[in-house]
Amino acid sequence: MKTTVIGAFPKISDDQQGQELRRALHRFDRHEIDADALDEVYDATTRRAMAELEAAGIDVINDGQIRWDDLFAVFARAWGGVARGPLERFYDNNTYFRQPVISKPITTHGRTLASDFKLARAAAKAELKGAVCGPLSFATLTAEDKAYKSLEERTLAVADALAAEIRGLGAAGAKLVDVEDPAVVARPDLIGLARQAYERLASAGVPIALQAYFFPADGILAELATFPVQQLGVDLRSRETKALGALGTLTGKTVVIGAVDARNTRLETADEVARLVDGAVRALDAEHVWVAPTTGLEYLPHDVAARKLAVLVQGTRAAVGVAA
Amino acid sequence: MSDILLTTTVGSFGKPEYLQKARNAFSRGKLSRDELTELERRATKEWIGRQEEIGLDILVDGEMYRGDMVAYFADLIDGYREGGLVRSYGNRYYHKPIIASKVSRPKPMTVDWFRYTQTLTDRPVKGMLTGPYTMLDWSFNEAYRTRRDAALALAEVVRQEAEDLEKAGAKYIQIDEPAIHARPEEIGIAIEAMGIVTQDLKAKTISHICYGDFAAIYPQVLDLPVDQLDLAMSNYEYRWLDLFDKHPFTKELAIGIVDVHKHELETVDEAAEGIRKGLRYVTADRLYPHPDCGLKTRTVEETVDKCRVVVEAAKKVRAELKAKVPA
Repeated sequence: MKTTVIGAFPKISDDQQGQELRRALHRFDRHEIDADALDEVYDATTRRAMAELEAAGIDVINDGQIRWDDLFAVFARAWGGVARGPLERFYDNNTYFRQPVISKPITTHGRTLASDFKLARAAAKAELKGAVCGPLSFATLTAEDKAYKSLEERTLAVADALAAEIRGLGAAGAKLVDVEDPAVVARPDLIGLARQAYERLASAGVPIALQAYFFPADGILAELATFPVQQLGVDLRSRETKALGALGTLTGKTVVIGAVDARNTRLETADEVARLVDGAVRALDAEHVWVAPTTGLEYLPHDVAARKLAVLVQGTRAAVGVAA
Repeated sequence: MSDILLTTTVGSFGKPEYLQKARNAFSRGKLSRDELTELERRATKEWIGRQEEIGLDILVDGEMYRGDMVAYFADLIDGYREGGLVRSYGNRYYHKPIIASKVSRPKPMTVDWFRYTQTLTDRPVKGMLTGPYTMLDWSFNEAYRTRRDAALALAEVVRQEAEDLEKAGAKYIQIDEPAIHARPEEIGIAIEAMGIVTQDLKAKTISHICYGDFAAIYPQVLDLPVDQLDLAMSNYEYRWLDLFDKHPFTKELAIGIVDVHKHELETVDEAAEGIRKGLRYVTADRLYPHPDCGLKTRTVEETVDKCRVVVEAAKKVRAELKAKVPA
């Protein structure tokens, strides 16, 4: 059993020392520093986030997505045929993203994230995984599409582009790539289309983890079990859900249980986390259970995110009988 | 003041540089509360002057004394405590408040500002509040077992404030619910909570809704107990109007006809076309042109220009309507 994280880590903290990136971005906007100087701050902030995840005892870390403005931004900036469009709230969060706008068929060289991953890999002491956005989320949250005739066509085109990115991450050394795709649980009516898209992603030949969060997966667990992915993230905290009792449906997959709520400051106890882990282990082999926050910790202030990580590790270790 | 196509704005305006500096100085303990308040009053007076000069019909105080539409109230409501910094977008962060215990209102929160602003103008000034569902949704909830429990408790606080605004003379009270479509399955909670706020009000009640999937809550949102819905439309190229073809819109409509997140200025003709689109669904006496949302992210100059476009567009369409009426 391993602990892990999903998505973005807080880019700044409340104390002055923790706001270097915020200050650097302001200075960049005022043309007081150049892109190279800003890049250095991004790199340093990334290393700091990773070190913090490692110090908390997280077994499999990511790079904290410090360069990601939102889930789609890095791709919409890099891909041909795509631009960043109107501002919109991201699902039920008071956090905004720019909706993709597709003007021409999407093109990518597939190395959008490769150099970031290599940088992170050089700094990582713990196991490191990559991440991409989910094809269904990208396609369903697109504001305008002049290239594809239908949602189906768009979703599969985005999946092809993401498969190239996953391949690129694999070439950069990634052994596991998270695919963050809340639309899979937000739009259960599209589960068939989602499955087709994941078949395209699987063709990249790199193990992938479908991280679906914000909404309960209760109604589609059986379908998710058939997805060609190695891992499935299941949010057990954001909303009312009976998914814990039905995890046996997912036998054969590694299930990443969202065990601390990354969208509320109320701090879970280690006991609460341990009880969820125990519940998961009753349905699945322990080696097929990973434990994580429900989603990216960036929805929380930095200090609370740090406390949530501590509880996550304590609760997991308590459940498996390892001294915290 | 015309009796049709009354122009207004959603609430916030950009803070002048001297006020931004003063707020920073205040947060560093370099300026007293009284000194800051004096500058906030000065900026409010300037914005009232600008709104009158532009020719807007229903005015706002511009929220010179607020940082954020939830945090301002959270600071004044017992039961809240300040949370740490959370990113909203890009390099923008805010202190997301935490509902830490049962909420209550120790004293009025906006009434003095309303009274002061109304003394500066003969035109009506709107009382401006944040709705209970948005207060809940944009806070962390550690105190209430369910989101409904928290929303209804906050509704009681907002009701007290709305009633005090009415007693102070407010003829228009806007209770914003931009988060109402965050969880479409909870629209019933938002409606129930708003009912607590508006049940005894005689003033015209308005609710501003923006930046979300309006289609997901339509037509249920027509049950929100307010007289007027105030909707961002320009940013969405007016696509929400298509919904009104299937289910007729039954309230007054404040229609956003300029995009507040773009530096570029719309032409009067473009904005006038937005009004004409709205007139397909709502009569001119029930249609209120305005910018899509609060203008606090725009500069003073951009704000004035955008508002001027709204006013000129309304004048243009009023003239067209007048020309159609036989003498």
